[in-house]
Amino acid sequence: MRNTAFSRKALFLLGGMVLASATLLAQQTVVDSSLLDRVDELERQVAYKKPGEDHFLLAGLATMGFVASRSTNTLNGVSTVSKTNSFPDGDHYEFSPMLLWRHGKKFLMEFEPSFSDNGLGVNWADVSYFAAPGLIIRAGYFVLPYGMYAKRLAAGWIDKLPTDPMGVADMTPTDYGLEVEGGFGFGTMKMNYDLALTNGNQLNPDGTLSSGNLADNNNNKTITGRIGLLPLLNSSLELGVSGMFGKLGNQGTPQQNLMGRSYAFDLNYVKTFNPILVNIKSQYNIQDIDKTSYINPADQSGYTFNNHTTAFFAQASLRPTGLQNWVKNLELAGRYGTFNTPKESLIGSNQDSWGVGLDYWLSWRTVFKVGYESYTGNSTASKPLGAYTGKTTTNSFFVQFAIQL
Amino acid sequence: MKKILLRYRFGLILLGLGSLVAVGGLDSCKVSEKASMKTGAQLWAENCQRCHNTPSPSTFSHEQWETIGMHMQSRALITDAERDKIVAFLSQ
Repeated sequence: MRNTAFSRKALFLLGGMVLASATLLAQQTVVDSSLLDRVDELERQVAYKKPGEDHFLLAGLATMGFVASRSTNTLNGVSTVSKTNSFPDGDHYEFSPMLLWRHGKKFLMEFEPSFSDNGLGVNWADVSYFAAPGLIIRAGYFVLPYGMYAKRLAAGWIDKLPTDPMGVADMTPTDYGLEVEGGFGFGTMKMNYDLALTNGNQLNPDGTLSSGNLADNNNNKTITGRIGLLPLLNSSLELGVSGMFGKLGNQGTPQQNLMGRSYAFDLNYVKTFNPILVNIKSQYNIQDIDKTSYINPADQSGYTFNNHTTAFFAQASLRPTGLQNWVKNLELAGRYGTFNTPKESLIGSNQDSWGVGLDYWLSWRTVFKVGYESYTGNSTASKPLGAYTGKTTTNSFFVQFAIQL
Repeated sequence: MKKILLRYRFGLILLGLGSLVAVGGLDSCKVSEKASMKTGAQLWAENCQRCHNTPSPSTFSHEQWETIGMHMQSRALITDAERDKIVAFLSQ
């Protein structure tokens, strides 16, 4: 009788345990199912937003401002004064969206249309192939590796002053062709190279050059190259040497073998001497074109001159980045530049300018600038050709806002 | 021959320097330990400010920094290792 009662109790207990386990198991299943559904949903959301191998980015820059100038020209003892002011500063206005397409980590397409005082144009449109460490191959329309300023420093949000140094960027063509470039380290130093093969410059009737021609005017290609050396471990100093060599004349004309040879030397030094960030930049351009005969447009007579052009600038800026208040956003900059165009030509002039500016950095890529620049140009153009323009002095006041987007 | 050498002297100097660079590049394994051990933050501080202010990491996403890294590498001509370290730092 006792055994029967015990068996009933045991069976009841066992049944209870089975029932409780089943209930718990059922609850667990419900919980797991809910979690799994949630995880599935999150996975779907992540999959929807996961980055692909390709990526498209719309960036760009905008520069705008105001300039007021007073100019005095003295010719044959007679002085003429003119005053101008314009909104925006037309010479430096620019709105340039930049489109970047990346295909994995091997291909990059860059396209920068630009609206400026030159109308609607294109700064560059090219495809780069990152072939191997230290080797990038580019094809398309790009800024040539001549000096440092045009390729790296010309953007309004990078330039410390409202103006470009005279002649320096103008002597750096943008052209169609192929380019190889790269950088590598050795020891505690670094070096970089940049070599381009392009259609080349074309000689204009007045002896100046034009570039960016889709069709080459001769069968010769222009070689442009720059080598940069960073001798210090902290990369604070970079020294560069560049050369550009190519024929300039039209095929089938007496000028078809006319050569242009250009050289550039650049220096870039950026170092913090706590609390001041010191920034020094300089570039010297030399351009020589073989001697030839030019046609005077006034009477179609021939004339010649030594087609030699130089441009130079040296710039320094100081910014107290080590301070903790608003003063760290101020940057004081100064620049001296010269631009000498061929004597006895239609465009000859010995020009120099100096400028100072005070920048306020609203962010690392947004700046408000106030600047003053004084320019002097002494004409060395041909008097017999009627091109001599005397002496010109211009003083300009600038206000400029620049942003990288 | 002398005339040609004289005429193209600067080009030949450039070519010579280029050859030195190429030889140096082939021997890139000799990068000093001090240079190769630099962090992304250090490289960011040293290289970006050579041209412009050092960018804030919060400006772009990782994917955007990858694209910008390639664009900037082709301007500043930094090495691949430097680019990867700088992008990794900016993506944090």
